[in-house]
Amino acid sequence: MDTLMAILTVFTQPQLLLLVGLGTFLGVYIGAIPGLSVTMAVSILISFTFSWDVYPAISLMVGIYMGGVYGGSRTAILLNIPGAPSAIATAMDGYPMAQRGEAGEAIGVTTVMSFFGGLVGVAVLALAAPFVAEFALTFQPRDYMLLAVLGILLVGSLSSGSLVKGIFAGAFGIAIGAVGRDPLTFAERFTFDLQIMEGGISFIAVMIGMFGISEALLQLHHVGTDAIRQQIDRIVPSWGTVRKYLPLSLQTSSIGVIIGALPGTGGDIAALMAYDHAKRVTKKPTRPFGTGAMEGLVAPETANNAAVGGAFVPMMTLGIPGDAVTAIIIGALFIHGLNPGPMLMVDQPDMFWFIVGALLTANMFILICGLTGIKLFTKIVEMPRSVLIPLIMLLSVVGAYAVNNSVTDVYWMLGFGVFGYFMRHYGYPLGPVILGVILSRLLDDNWRRAIISEREDLGRFFEGIFTSPLSLVLFVAVVLIFVSQTPLWRMIFRRKGGQTGESGK
Amino acid sequence: MKRFILGAASALVLGASGALAQDYPTKEIQGIIQWGAGGSTDTVMRSVTPHAEEILGGTVVLQNMTGAVGAIALNHVADSAADGYTLLMGAENPLLYKVMGLGERDYSAFTPVSILARGTPILVANTEAPFDDYAGMMDYIAENPGEVRFGATGPGGLPSVITGMIESVEGGLDVISVPYDGDGPALTALQGGAIDVMPAVLGASIEGIRAGNMKPLAVFDTQANDKLPDVPAVTSFNEDYNTYLPWGPFFGVFVPEGTPEDVVEKLSNAYNEAAQNPEFTELMDSRGYSIMAISGDEAEQFLTDWQQGTTWLLQDAGLTKNSPEDFGIARPGE
Repeated sequence: MDTLMAILTVFTQPQLLLLVGLGTFLGVYIGAIPGLSVTMAVSILISFTFSWDVYPAISLMVGIYMGGVYGGSRTAILLNIPGAPSAIATAMDGYPMAQRGEAGEAIGVTTVMSFFGGLVGVAVLALAAPFVAEFALTFQPRDYMLLAVLGILLVGSLSSGSLVKGIFAGAFGIAIGAVGRDPLTFAERFTFDLQIMEGGISFIAVMIGMFGISEALLQLHHVGTDAIRQQIDRIVPSWGTVRKYLPLSLQTSSIGVIIGALPGTGGDIAALMAYDHAKRVTKKPTRPFGTGAMEGLVAPETANNAAVGGAFVPMMTLGIPGDAVTAIIIGALFIHGLNPGPMLMVDQPDMFWFIVGALLTANMFILICGLTGIKLFTKIVEMPRSVLIPLIMLLSVVGAYAVNNSVTDVYWMLGFGVFGYFMRHYGYPLGPVILGVILSRLLDDNWRRAIISEREDLGRFFEGIFTSPLSLVLFVAVVLIFVSQTPLWRMIFRRKGGQTGESGK
Repeated sequence: MKRFILGAASALVLGASGALAQDYPTKEIQGIIQWGAGGSTDTVMRSVTPHAEEILGGTVVLQNMTGAVGAIALNHVADSAADGYTLLMGAENPLLYKVMGLGERDYSAFTPVSILARGTPILVANTEAPFDDYAGMMDYIAENPGEVRFGATGPGGLPSVITGMIESVEGGLDVISVPYDGDGPALTALQGGAIDVMPAVLGASIEGIRAGNMKPLAVFDTQANDKLPDVPAVTSFNEDYNTYLPWGPFFGVFVPEGTPEDVVEKLSNAYNEAAQNPEFTELMDSRGYSIMAISGDEAEQFLTDWQQGTTWLLQDAGLTKNSPEDFGIARPGE
């Protein structure tokens, strides 16, 4: 009974309800603008809400977090510019839909599916947090490394067209991710003794440049052509549509929760893995992947919102942040006089249930904020290109600067933008570059940790893999996926070739 | 843009009129936090600053500027005008930059506003580790050389100083050192069994210890800590540690050297008083940090002593890139 009361705290206090709503609303817009990140917004809020009580402060933060993760999909669908790293996969099928004049439908499905994914995440947090947290803790460095290898194999599904070009792009991304002082030994790598290289290349700057600027440059070719008219009569997906994607969204939500709960991996990796999963399991997508397949929207959007609930799992049960945002929320709880840690659930169970309630509420507000105002949003794509292109450029510059308040990042962003333009021109996919940057450190750091832990002995390393059930499962998955992409596999099973739908560009 | 012009104009006026300290602050003060959001430096600075703002009667806009182990933030503040409108909110690391080859500058290019608080290191172990205290651990390492996994956070981090200390006191420490990004991820790995022992700051591990998710081996101090009275001080196992202890990481607020004295004084008063605020002291106490709130010559002396002791300790343990001697850092007691 107390539990129920704690969950319902948000609903019974209009002020809290309002704050969660406001937070979600703000979050959607912060998330939609590339470079304005949820992490940044929440850390500013810590100072801003310092003198508040803890409940209102947390309400606002939870709202922004949930809204922000969802909001990233907006610009991904409408402009092909992911507002946040977790929306990268969304752009791959969302933007083609907008180009067909189906932006309204795409946003509608995204909203409902984000809501669904978020719900699964909250449910897992509420019902199984201790178990999931315990499971997440069992991941050893070698398991993280295998997970990263599994991620690298996604290059295959992210590169439409030439796989060789995709592999090149992925390798390039990994190299970008390695630039700067190595965080483990502080040795300089690829810095050419230049001070600006020491801090590494901001991943967000690369993302904004590659997607934002290159898109704007590409659009310059079509300045004269009219914008695509958007149909917005079908926004809320029918029950039939939702039911059709239910099995897939349950699977991808589970991926989201687990990846989100792992400390060190978050919604971005979850969304990409979910996209890949959808590509693997969907026999007959609505359209080939990469050209506007509904499944390609459903998968990443359920996964990244489910990852939010997942990220709270280790935070609430162990005081270990599941991602950057939960790390800041831990700081906020600390400042407000609570002791976030494994004892929080024992000492202050109300706080736990309150957060569950707030997440639930934020999720509902996503539905409200998401399904209203679509008309206005789709107008963005209908704008004349001569207005839209400078606007994208402006947003990209502001976004890149805002991440670290650094002009250097703006230069990187512009450089990668021009580079990205040429890559697209010559048919090199951009998705794998970003994938490489995201996974670079996960792979590199954990491989080194794993091998150092085994006294740099490969024999002991493999012994570790084969004696741990978790590592073994991951290892077998890596081998299977790898082999399934080679001609050998097809020779044995005589299956028809995988999905290699040509994207229009 | 408008604000920028206004700011630039007011800066010019201030410069021309020789910074009227009685008016300070006349505009927003920028507080640059050396470490990322959610980290311990971030948390400490964000909880003390609102109290300081009240006393100052101005606004301090806090901003995280990360990268290159905090050197990017340090260089940024060192290069900004010495007018008291840009503060560096940092931890102890910059004092090791020179010997670690991470940069040419450290706090000697700054004037300390306030050294707020100091942390206590503690040695914690995975609950399933085959030893229960410091002595047991040393015996186990002696019997199983090169098997125990210690967490680390890179050269110059707290674990490297503590392991350096153990090495010089015990005459060697044959363990595997597994590097992590910070004590947070390393303590997570400790609970998952990826590492066996982690030297960490007490504040970061206290909740885990209370919950029984990790076991404390020894507090690296000359006496047991009030927060964990049952955990013995390492000096009770080996008195030689008295040479180096007490030692600990600290948090401080700094301004570039050359900032007008009256401005520094105003800032120091604000931050020292804020550090005594009961809300803040309670917060720090619950995490096992000791409030210092020192400034002026006292703070300078503290920094000098800290740097001498730590750099030479690292030098003797063979962990440095450059000798402290190259930078005129004298051996303690010389």
